[in-house]
Amino acid sequence: MISIIPRFLKGIYWPIVFLTLLLAAMGMITIYSASFRGSGDFTSKQFLWCLIGLAVFFMTISVGYRSFLNLSYLFYVITIALLLWVLILGEARSGAQRWIMLGSFAVQPSEFSKIATILALANFLAGRSSIQQQKRTLITALILVGVPAVLVLKQPDLGSALVFAPFLLTVIFFWGIRIRYLIFLFLMGLSSLPLVWHVLKPYQQKRLLVFVNPAIDPVGASYTAIQSKIAVGSGGLLGKGWLQGTQTQLDFVPEHHTDFIFSVIGEEFGFLGAVFILFLFGLLIIYAFRIVDHTTDFRARLLALGIAMAFSFQVFVNIGMTIGLAPITGLPLPFISYGGSALVANFFAFGLLASIYKERSIF
Amino acid sequence: MLSGLVILGIGLFETQVIQGGHYRKASERNRIRVIRLEAPRGNILDRYGALVATSRPAYNVYAIPEDFDPQDIPTLSRLLNLPENQIRFRLSQTRFASFTPVLLKQDVSKEVAMQIEERRPELAGVFIQIGMIRTYPQGEVAAHIVGYIGKISREEYAALDPSIYNYDAWIGKVGIERVFDTYLRGEDGGRQLEVNARGAPIRLLGEVEPRPGTDLHLSLDTKLEAKIRPLVVNKRSAILILDLKKGELLAAVSTPGFDPNVFVTPGRSTERLSLIGSKERPLLDRGLNGLYPPGSIFKLLTAMAALETGTITSHTTFECPGYFRFGPKSRPFKCWFSEGHGRVDLYTALERSCNVYFYNVGRLLGEKRLAEYARKLGFGSEVPFELPTADGIVPDAEWKQVMRHDKWYQGETITLAIGQSYLLVSPLQIVRLVAAIATDGRVFQPKLVRDDFISIKSEKKFSVRPETFKALRQGMLQVVSSDKGTGQLARLNFTKLAAKTGTAQAPPGEPHAWFGGFFPYENPEIAMVVFVERGRSGGITAGQIAKKVAHIYHDLYNSPVS
Repeated sequence: MISIIPRFLKGIYWPIVFLTLLLAAMGMITIYSASFRGSGDFTSKQFLWCLIGLAVFFMTISVGYRSFLNLSYLFYVITIALLLWVLILGEARSGAQRWIMLGSFAVQPSEFSKIATILALANFLAGRSSIQQQKRTLITALILVGVPAVLVLKQPDLGSALVFAPFLLTVIFFWGIRIRYLIFLFLMGLSSLPLVWHVLKPYQQKRLLVFVNPAIDPVGASYTAIQSKIAVGSGGLLGKGWLQGTQTQLDFVPEHHTDFIFSVIGEEFGFLGAVFILFLFGLLIIYAFRIVDHTTDFRARLLALGIAMAFSFQVFVNIGMTIGLAPITGLPLPFISYGGSALVANFFAFGLLASIYKERSIF
Repeated sequence: MLSGLVILGIGLFETQVIQGGHYRKASERNRIRVIRLEAPRGNILDRYGALVATSRPAYNVYAIPEDFDPQDIPTLSRLLNLPENQIRFRLSQTRFASFTPVLLKQDVSKEVAMQIEERRPELAGVFIQIGMIRTYPQGEVAAHIVGYIGKISREEYAALDPSIYNYDAWIGKVGIERVFDTYLRGEDGGRQLEVNARGAPIRLLGEVEPRPGTDLHLSLDTKLEAKIRPLVVNKRSAILILDLKKGELLAAVSTPGFDPNVFVTPGRSTERLSLIGSKERPLLDRGLNGLYPPGSIFKLLTAMAALETGTITSHTTFECPGYFRFGPKSRPFKCWFSEGHGRVDLYTALERSCNVYFYNVGRLLGEKRLAEYARKLGFGSEVPFELPTADGIVPDAEWKQVMRHDKWYQGETITLAIGQSYLLVSPLQIVRLVAAIATDGRVFQPKLVRDDFISIKSEKKFSVRPETFKALRQGMLQVVSSDKGTGQLARLNFTKLAAKTGTAQAPPGEPHAWFGGFFPYENPEIAMVVFVERGRSGGITAGQIAKKVAHIYHDLYNSPVS
C-alpha cells in the first residue's frame, strides 16, 4: 500500500497542480470579499467543490485519459441528454435555464458538455484519415460539435456556446483540414451571422451592440460594462485592498462573485494583482500547450489542444469583458469564479492534461 | 495564445495605471452621495413680534435620476398631477450629477405624500422629504418692505458662491428678504452618505449640521398698516408713517399691493405673471421707489432755504394779484387762486399755499441755492436706508446743461420754488423732510430693522437754525388749523396736526395729491406722508386720508390729547 503512493505520485506534473490550486485559492479569497456582505456562504461551498475537483483531478490521472477517450461517446450522449433535460425541466435562474438541482447543489451540464464534446471530437477525428472522405468526416464533426453548442445557446448561454467554436477550429486545423474547407467553413460561419443574430435574445443583441459603442445605453445594457471598467480602473496600481472594493461591495458591478470576479480582483488588488493572475494563467496556458507538444498520441494531442484552446478562450473573453475588450457574454473565469460545475469540470480537464503528460512516454 | 494575454495586460495597464485616477474618481462619485440639509430660514417679525415672513413644513417629492426608472414616469405623473415631460425635464437637469436628488414637486398634500410613501418599493429613487416653504401670513401687509424669495436664477448662481448657494437654492429676490438674505438664510448643512448600487444608504461618512438663519425684527407695526391699507385699497398711493421718538418707520403702505405668497407657493405662476405684467405696477413700492413731482409740499424746502440764507424772514410779505410777472411784458405765472391772495407773509403763504409768494422767494433765492438746500435735505440722492430707495432729481443750470443740453431759464427757477419743473422726489424723501421740521432736525434718518447687528451709515448732518424749523412748523399748523388753510380737512379733534399739502401738476392726467404732516404739534410723535397718484387734490384727497390715518393711529396707540 505504502509503495503504491510514490508510484502514483510519480510522473504527476506538479506545476499544474500547484498553479490550479493557487488560482482556486485566489478565487476563494476573492469570492469571500465579493460575497461576505450578502447572504450565502459561497466561500465554503467553493472550498468543498475544490476538494471534489482535486479528487476528480487525481482520479482522472489514475484512470488515465485513454479510458475517457474510449468512453467519450457515452459521455457525449449523457451530456446531450442532460442539456436536453435542462432545457425542458431545468432550474431557471436570472432568465436562463442552465442548472439541474442535485439536492442542494446545482449542476451546470454545459460545463461538462464542453469537455465531453472535446473528448468525442478528438476520439472521432483521430480515428479518421484526413486524406480520404474528408468532407464526410468534417460534416460529422460539425454535427458532433454543433448539437451541444446549439443546445447551450438555447439555454441561453451565449458565452459557453461560443467556446465551442475556437476548439472546433483548432482541432480540425491540426487534424489536417484542407485549407479550402477551412475557408468554406469560415465563409459559411460569416454568412450565418445574420441568422445567429436573430436567434439571440434581445438582451444579448444589446450587449453586443453596447460592446461596439458603450454610449448607446449607459444606464441599461452598458451599465455593467461601464461599472466593471470603473471597478477595475479604480483599483489603480496597488488596488483598494482586500474587502475594500466599493464598486463590487456596493453592488455597482453585478455577478461579482461569478462572471465578474475579475473586476473584484482588479479593484481590490490593483494592476499588480491582476497581472499576477494573468501571469498564473499564462503559465498554465504555456504548460497546457507544452503537453500538446510532448505527446506522441494523436488522440491525446487533439484532446489536449481542444482543452488548452477552450481554456485560453475563456480566460481571454472573461478578463477582456471586465475591461471592455470583449463583449459581455456570461462566461466564468476558470478556477476563480464561483461555481462548482465549472471548477470540477476544469479540474477534470486539467486532470486529462496531466494524464496525457504522465503517459507521454508509453509509446 | 500568449499574445492574447499580452493584449489583456496592456488593456489592464491602460485601464488601471494610465486611467486609474479617472476611474477612481468615478467610483467615488458612484458611492458617495451628498444630501444637502437646508438651514431653516430666519423669520421676519414686526415691532410687536407678529410674524411677517416665516416657514411652514411642506411635503416635497424628490427623485434621484440615477436610481429612477423612467418606466415609472406615467405612475408618478398621475400621482403628482404633473405632465410627463415636466418630470423628464427635471430629471434631466442634473445630467452630470445624476446622484443628486432632484425636486419634482414641492408642497404636495399629505394624502399624495402618503401614497408615494406606500409605493416606495415600486418607485425606485423617489422619496418624500419634509422641507420648509416660505409663507407670508399677513399677505399684502408689509409685502413691499419684506419682499419675497424665489428660486435662484442662472445669473445669480453664476455670480454667487456655489458653496452657499446651490443650483436649486431659494434666495431673497426683493426687499428685506433680498438685502438681508445672508442673515436670514443661515448656513446649509450636509450629509455625506455611502450608498450602494441601488441608492440605498450604507453608512454615514460625515455630517455638518445646518446653522439656522437669524430672525429679523422690523420697526413696522403691521396691525397699524392692516388698518390703514383699506383706506387706499383702490388707489395708486403710498403712505409712510415715521415714529419721531426713535426715527423708526412704523408703516409703509403702497397700493396696489400684492400677496408675496404668490411667489413662493408652487402652482401660482399665472398669478405671478399677471402681477409682473400689470400696468398698475403693484410690485413697485411707491413710498420708497416711486418718483413724482412734489408740488406745493416742496414750498417747505423753499421756505427753509430762504429763511436760512436770510433771503426773507417770516415777516417778509409779497403782494399776490393772482399771477406773477418777471417784467411788464413777460408772460404771467399763475397762482392757483386766480383772484389773488393779496399781501401775504410767510405763514399765510404756507397756509394758503400761495404760489406768487414762493415765485418771489424763488426769484430772490436763485435756482442754485434752492437746489443746494434741496440736496442738503436729501433730495436727489438715495435715502440711506436698509432697502434700496430711489434718488430722484434736483434740477439746476448745471444739471440741465448735462442732461438736456439746454440753458436754464428764469421761469424754471420760480416753478422749481413751488415744487414743479424737473423736480422728482419720493414719498420717503418728503416724510424725512417733515420729520426733520417736526423735530428740529433731530430725526432725519429713517430706520427699519431693529436688530443691533444691522447698522446703516447715516449721512452727514445739516445745520438749520431752530427758528427756521419753528417758523415752518407755525406755517404747517396754520395749514390745518386755519379756516383758509389748504389742509383743514385733516383737522383733528383730539390733537393739533401740522401739515403741508401738495397738488403736483404732472401732465398728462390729473395732478398728484400730497399731504405731509406730523402730530401732536407740541411734542410730536408721528410724521406721515400720504401720496395719491393722480389724486387731484392734496388738501382734499390726501388730506382726508391723512385724517383717517391719524384717527387709526390714535385709536391704536391712544395717544394723549395735547
